[in-house]
Amino acid sequence: MPTLPEIQTAVRHGILGNGDATATLSDALEPADRLTIYRNTSRTALTNALRLNFPAVQRLVGEDFFTVAADTFITRELPRTAWLDLYGEGFPEFLQGFEPAAALIYLPDVARLERAVGQALHASDAKSLKYSQLLDIEPSDQGRVCFTPHPSVSLVFSPYPVDAIWRAVLGRSDEALAAIKLSSGVVRVLVERRAGEIEVTRMDERRWKFAEALFAGHSLSAALAVADDPDAAAWLAAHLAVGHFSNFALSSTESLVASEHAQ
Amino acid sequence: MFQATHRCSNLIPAKAGIRLRFQHHQGVLDTRPDVAWMEVHTENYMGGGSPIRCLEAIRRDIPISLHGVGLSLGSAEGLDQTHLDRIRQVAERIEPDLMSEHIAWSISGGTYLADLLPLPMTEEALAVVCRHVDQVQNTFGRRILVENPSTYMQFRHSTIPEWEFMAAIAARTGCGILCDVNNVYVSAKNHGWDPLAYLAALPPDAIGEIHLAGHSVRQLADGGMLRIDDHSSRVIGEVWSLYEVALRRWGPVPTLIEWDQNVPPLDVLIDEARHADALIGVASKGVRRADAA
Repeated sequence: MPTLPEIQTAVRHGILGNGDATATLSDALEPADRLTIYRNTSRTALTNALRLNFPAVQRLVGEDFFTVAADTFITRELPRTAWLDLYGEGFPEFLQGFEPAAALIYLPDVARLERAVGQALHASDAKSLKYSQLLDIEPSDQGRVCFTPHPSVSLVFSPYPVDAIWRAVLGRSDEALAAIKLSSGVVRVLVERRAGEIEVTRMDERRWKFAEALFAGHSLSAALAVADDPDAAAWLAAHLAVGHFSNFALSSTESLVASEHAQ
Repeated sequence: MFQATHRCSNLIPAKAGIRLRFQHHQGVLDTRPDVAWMEVHTENYMGGGSPIRCLEAIRRDIPISLHGVGLSLGSAEGLDQTHLDRIRQVAERIEPDLMSEHIAWSISGGTYLADLLPLPMTEEALAVVCRHVDQVQNTFGRRILVENPSTYMQFRHSTIPEWEFMAAIAARTGCGILCDVNNVYVSAKNHGWDPLAYLAALPPDAIGEIHLAGHSVRQLADGGMLRIDDHSSRVIGEVWSLYEVALRRWGPVPTLIEWDQNVPPLDVLIDEARHADALIGVASKGVRRADAA
């Protein structure tokens, strides 16, 4: 008699379509038909999760194409958990190598932006760090401050205007879509959830690199060195004012990180 | 074993409630419909932001039950501690009046298969489920309810009838039973069981909640019929009749109308709940008559 782990492995393979589980099933009529019901439910649930998590990608490629892409992706990357709101971590990478979508060169980056939007949408409600919490830091220690980004905040970089594409597609605006020039240059955006709403904001290169260094947990002095701009202190104040950080710590390796960045 | 002090050791009234879906959040907040309680899928509220804030707001007026679909109580490889922690975090914010899960499995080899898969009805599976129910009840410090599945296939090596399996879980762990009457009907039709005998075999003191839902009928290649529990339509007459039998047997029980696919306007859900409430009302009079006699 097979054990529970053996039965569950056989059924898993049956559902994923890479094995026959019918030997474990009773002699009822049409055991393969019965297993197919579970296979279809599983596949539909996972495809729908991807549709919800990548709505702009679906609109760009159409529902049928998306279903085929999702079907292929699901066989390569199944979720590890029942919380499906963040399922599809590897979907942008997958699209990058998905031959039938190769003509849409910006598609993987739209998926990356949607991934950042999804993370912002579903991030936990961590408290934001307040400026007043930094007042006790000795002036000599300020350069060693390392911030923890708020879980809803992230940065996206693309050679294509993915933010404009994303807005036009979700807004169903053919006019806006037609006005987009793919060759308009690189785009750097900050994605966040503010008061429950998603905001995608373009940043210039210096501001973006400053934010990138801070969000990566580098020390303030290292981030300032990267930014190399007299306005950087004001940028930091703006980050703090809108709650882009959830915490901070004092780094003991300020000079090391700074020197790495100086290279 | 978890000792329950009362059969319905919660604040969910023995009335009809509805499954709350995102599309009805605003409608519920705006119109404050006269519904005794609501149930949500716990997995839909695991992130931060708007959904859980809406649920917190609704929860101020309406008792809430957290119904999990992804804990996979029947997985041989053990429970996912991260998922258990996420459920605990939702429970800490919502302070639900009831918590429940399914007698099924959906995780194998560390991957989530996104369906409630049937267990072989064996002593080994029963021991696994009971160990996990114990673990969940100890983690949350409260009694949970476990729901009987709707199934489309059975395993060659099953040795325990499903109704005895359900009763044994309650007896061994002290958990309650969420009896999905539609699932009893669907599985009984699919496997040739007697649904009345199924209900009769469940321990009345363990029943903490009833689920009702619509299902569809699909034809198999051999011409046979299979009933599919798809929660996409009204409860059918035969299931309402079986529900009346259940109420006569157990007295008034909190009863949830589930409708998760092709979700209708809020009014339709409330209308289904009204029908359940009317039947609960009849059952209450029966109980009072029995008390007086």
